[in-house]
Amino acid sequence: MQITEHPVLDKKFNEEVIFYFNNQSLKAKKGQTVAAALMANSIRKLGASRKLNKARGVFCANGRCTSCFVTINGLEHVLSCTTLVEEGMRVSSNESDPDVRGESNGN
Amino acid sequence: METDILVIGGGPAGMSAAITADRAGARVILVDESFSLGGQLRQQTQHFAPLPGSEEKVRGTALGNDLIKKLEASKVKILKKHIMIGSYRNENIGVTDGEKTFAIQSQKNIIAPGAAEKAKIFPGWTIPGVMTAGAAQILINRERVLPGKNAVMLGSNDYSLEVARQLKACGVTIKAIVEDKEQMISSDMELLHDMKNVPVYLNSTIESATGKEELNKVVVKTPAGLYEMEADLICIANGFDPIIEPFEIMGCNLAYHKELGGWLPEYNVYFQTSNPSCYIAGNAAGITTIGPVLLTGEIAAIGALEELGFMEQEEAEAQRKELWKELAEIEKRENEKTFRARSELIEGFHQKIGMAFPEEFNMVNGGAHNG
Repeated sequence: MQITEHPVLDKKFNEEVIFYFNNQSLKAKKGQTVAAALMANSIRKLGASRKLNKARGVFCANGRCTSCFVTINGLEHVLSCTTLVEEGMRVSSNESDPDVRGESNGN
Repeated sequence: METDILVIGGGPAGMSAAITADRAGARVILVDESFSLGGQLRQQTQHFAPLPGSEEKVRGTALGNDLIKKLEASKVKILKKHIMIGSYRNENIGVTDGEKTFAIQSQKNIIAPGAAEKAKIFPGWTIPGVMTAGAAQILINRERVLPGKNAVMLGSNDYSLEVARQLKACGVTIKAIVEDKEQMISSDMELLHDMKNVPVYLNSTIESATGKEELNKVVVKTPAGLYEMEADLICIANGFDPIIEPFEIMGCNLAYHKELGGWLPEYNVYFQTSNPSCYIAGNAAGITTIGPVLLTGEIAAIGALEELGFMEQEEAEAQRKELWKELAEIEKRENEKTFRARSELIEGFHQKIGMAFPEEFNMVNGGAHNG
């Protein structure tokens, strides 16, 4: 859920953007990270862990723990907590290992 | 790319170092991994005091904005969304923006990567909804989104209570504070007062965190038995580790000092590491409070400026003396153990390399031991 009236800080975001998560159209604020934009839409599962295939989401929100990676505009393993959301951005959850040997990587 | 001084990290320490170096006429490049400057100050709505030269309380976010303004008005070349990823054999630093990688050739580096929150492991700790206290603070104050409605705070230090208070002000219900020690760690009366209606479980741990794909149930193990509660957010506040990877890349020697946060680079009274081209500043040089974080940035910058000839020795010594005096005063007042550990680290490193103590350090260090 978006915080529209912060208890101590002035309003920060004015512009709205539309982006997509797993092909679903969602609204967010321009200036928010992808991780926050998803959380604002009550989406907290960002993918599954590689080995045990368990749900994972934002943990450190600071670009360090790598728990929040997603696919953004076709690029796999992008940290959603350090990437700003953009109009029309296509985001999808990473449910398994990336296809590093795939055609898109020149192999 | 070429410069006199390269600053790694655009938090309070890095910004303070860059502003100081720019003012003395050095060419400065500042690299930060994020899309905006300010580091952790960006989400710190709590008030800080004392700051260098001031007893007045200042909100963290306001302090950050003030430093950003000064930096943006300076000649410092700012590279946001750039990450230091390595060093070349000639010690040039490799930086990437995710698309292209290039070398920065610098005379001196001031490395201020800050600190990272420590995780705490319990069954279910990876479920969405379990996050660090810092993550929750980023979400509410910087990103303006609610990370949950019902929260359990794991840890009872000042920082966890501060974040709990801020979450509460945003409308989040704090269901419990869970502390594995026999009493609350924080002794801040104001924070404790604000949490007075929150159940506190002492000598307790989180037995499990469960939910299908998101957290919805937390079981707390207490001496009186197991308590089950509905919660969609667990905030882990388990302290901080200095970030040391950039120093490892630069071949800096490390030392272990529990009171400073664990492993961290050795440094001398000028905040110069065992690699003479690398200075250190901020929480990476020992977990501390905002006043010392800012001061270490200035002291490191002065060392680099003096070595490069941008500041006369006499002037550098005079300034350093004042800064060390203030650092000692603030740090001893806020956390004497931290200052003692810092002194020990510095003394140990000076002894190891056979380097004499300058007068400015003897003075404050003596003061530390004499109480």
